[in-house]
Amino acid sequence: MPVFKTPFNGYSVRFSPFYESRLAVATAQNFGILGNGRVHVIDLAPTGPVINELIAFDTADGVYDVAWSESHDSVLVAAVADGSIKVYDTALPPQSNPVRSLKEHAREVHGLDYNPTRRDSFLSASWDDSVKLWTLDRPASLRTFREHAYCVYSVAWNPKHADVFASASGDCTVRIWDVREPGSTMIIPGHEHEILSCDWNKYDECLIATASVDKSIKIWDVRNYRVPVSVLNGHGYAVRKIKFSPHRRNLLVSCSYDMTVCLWDFMVEDALVGRYDHHTEFAVGVDLSVLVDGLMASTGWDELVYVWQQGMDPRAS
Amino acid sequence: MATTQSPSPNSNDDKPQAVSELVQQANQVLQDVRPEATKQSVPASVFVNSEPIREDQVSNAVKFLSHPKVRGSPVIYRRSFLEKKGLTKEEIDEAFQRVPDPSPSSQPASLNQDGQANSLSSIQTQVPIQTSQPLAAAPTGIVSSGTVARRQFQWYHAVSAVGLLAASGCGTALLIKKVIIPKLKLWVRKVVLEEENDYAKKIDAKPSLAEEAATAAKAAAAAASDVAKASQEMLNSKNEERRRFEEFMNLMDAQVQEMKSMSNSIRKLEGQANSSGRAFSDHDDHRASASSTKQSYANGNVDVNVQPGRSSTLPASAEPPHPKSFMEIMEMIQRGEKPSNIREVNDMPPNPNQQLSNPRITPRTKPWEAQNGPRQVLQSQTSAEGLNQNGVDSGLNYLVDDESSTPWWQWKNLRITEIENEDEVKADGSYGVKTNEQPSVQRTWVPPPPPPVAMPEAAEAIRRPKSAPKETAMQEQLADDQSAARPSEVTDELQRITKMSESAGAVEMNGGFLTGNSTVIQEQENSYEGN
Repeated sequence: MPVFKTPFNGYSVRFSPFYESRLAVATAQNFGILGNGRVHVIDLAPTGPVINELIAFDTADGVYDVAWSESHDSVLVAAVADGSIKVYDTALPPQSNPVRSLKEHAREVHGLDYNPTRRDSFLSASWDDSVKLWTLDRPASLRTFREHAYCVYSVAWNPKHADVFASASGDCTVRIWDVREPGSTMIIPGHEHEILSCDWNKYDECLIATASVDKSIKIWDVRNYRVPVSVLNGHGYAVRKIKFSPHRRNLLVSCSYDMTVCLWDFMVEDALVGRYDHHTEFAVGVDLSVLVDGLMASTGWDELVYVWQQGMDPRAS
Repeated sequence: MATTQSPSPNSNDDKPQAVSELVQQANQVLQDVRPEATKQSVPASVFVNSEPIREDQVSNAVKFLSHPKVRGSPVIYRRSFLEKKGLTKEEIDEAFQRVPDPSPSSQPASLNQDGQANSLSSIQTQVPIQTSQPLAAAPTGIVSSGTVARRQFQWYHAVSAVGLLAASGCGTALLIKKVIIPKLKLWVRKVVLEEENDYAKKIDAKPSLAEEAATAAKAAAAAASDVAKASQEMLNSKNEERRRFEEFMNLMDAQVQEMKSMSNSIRKLEGQANSSGRAFSDHDDHRASASSTKQSYANGNVDVNVQPGRSSTLPASAEPPHPKSFMEIMEMIQRGEKPSNIREVNDMPPNPNQQLSNPRITPRTKPWEAQNGPRQVLQSQTSAEGLNQNGVDSGLNYLVDDESSTPWWQWKNLRITEIENEDEVKADGSYGVKTNEQPSVQRTWVPPPPPPVAMPEAAEAIRRPKSAPKETAMQEQLADDQSAARPSEVTDELQRITKMSESAGAVEMNGGFLTGNSTVIQEQENSYEGN
């Protein structure tokens, strides 16, 4: 399984929704504390377990997240720690990039999500407690959602309802929003500690998973959100990111500060179905490919990006 | 449902008029729909609280909000607290309405001084009006005045303490000046007198009055000098204490850092697998800051309300072991040094009006989106691997056939997750071998869950009249209890269905049937394949 070494500490990795072999990696220098950032666009070589870099973009400040456009195959957006969002187009020559710099957030932008159903808009989650809605053709945000009392770490669009999304925040709540509504439509006080990530189940649009500093992942049904459907324990430290599988209804993947990437089947009593401990530092980014079933990627502060098939050892060559 | 917090969306809205009108219309439609909407009838309302307002929660919230300490805190923290307790937006708004808030959006500083007097009077006037028990009101009034008084006392207490210290310092300084000089004089005189006395004693045996006075003066001088010394020492010690305190703080911080790094390295040595001893975890979003450097190492600092600045927020827990160089960089930042590897990068767009390139590929449908016409899709892909599955069976044949022609990332996983394997082995002997996938074919298609059936029990009953009563009873039970998973019942149910599907025809499970797992999807595929 191939490995890609980044010069800076990895923060996020995302598969392209258009090209099976393409990924984008967000990295930040000096663990994201202070320094530059870089966005890598990498390709998996078809012949062997090799990863080639297609192009890399430097930023003044660390990049915390990256997201591919669902409408343009060559466009990606990057969340930068100085509060701006950079838009890159890999089909244009490198000197024309970035194409846009959207600066509205007052603090670091920590999460991005592109709308997979309507494909025209994306959300940004920031440490300035707000979430903003953007489209590529406008220089300014369309909406600002400001209700959280603390940093918003993650946003996720609902895979079925194009107007509904969820945001996870350090104020220990997850809020469900509808872009047609002025305020949040539901508040789930999911954990006693900060909630770092949330994601919707792709096959049941009422199920949402939350990952928290309290080392647990909880699955909630929004129709009965007082009690979680399932609680997944097994990580040794805070869970940094979770992602529901685009191919399996009950499968989700998580990465944690305990340096492991775990696979869970939340409908089963013994939910932990896989554990990968290939990283030697915090594992902070993980993604499952929408185009290739079972293909997953992870990155961490050890400056490595692994891409492997579920069930195989990421470090095998 | 506008709150005092969220700004009006229109202020940030750049949409053209038509779109905003559309939004308003949508809002109206939603507002009409919501009062009548049941949980599942209108999809949009699933994401909205449909619970009625709970009076007990609201009254608790009102008591909380009426507390004077709470009144001094920013509104956003009050709302956040109530949200964490599980109150819905409506309940929080109701509670805020019931508690007359003199200045809901004012600064906490102004609220502190003025609000205290107001809160006292407002609480007392509130007492007869509030529906809460009148018995509780009197003690709360007393308690609140006591706390208010105590708060004022604390505030002024600190000021007066500082004043007292300063005054005492000045007093002792003056005292010392007044005492030192006479003490010196006395001391000199004493020495002189001693010498004289030595002579005088030899000459004059009888102690004279002057000598007595001199001895008395000596005693007094000694006492005074002692007092002066003591007070001087006090002053010095105070200064020293202050200095030592600062040094101590620095040392403490250094020690804490050392201890942390030591414990981190110990933990690292012990390995990541050993997580039993650690009951805590922590999340550090570390950003450097010149001002708030001490916060990031405030071990055990539970204050969630503290803004992180650019440094971490630590709920009361131990930290996960950070990489060593991470600690080094944090220390560097705290010392005010900038890491040397940072470059000046200009990442501004060279042409802000640059057109995006035209997309070359049409967007693909998502695997979970293939809801419309699953059968058509199936027929078009019967030859291909359309049925995406747990590469279990397919994996075995797969690799043997075409290792070379497929990209390595499409090789299916050989290792089987135990659960899926068992179920599949039971379920499908006839499971087809997947052919290789061309990269262009949508190999990722998963047979979608069938459209949600309104009455799953009825559908089941129609399709399986033999075991109808038992099945439907189970179905109903499972369908009703959607919040808790019951694996044993489910597996029983599914085994039954498995047998049915093998023998009979199509088994259509409710798409919204939460307890289905991958085996259920297997069943669907079987049925489709059979058809």
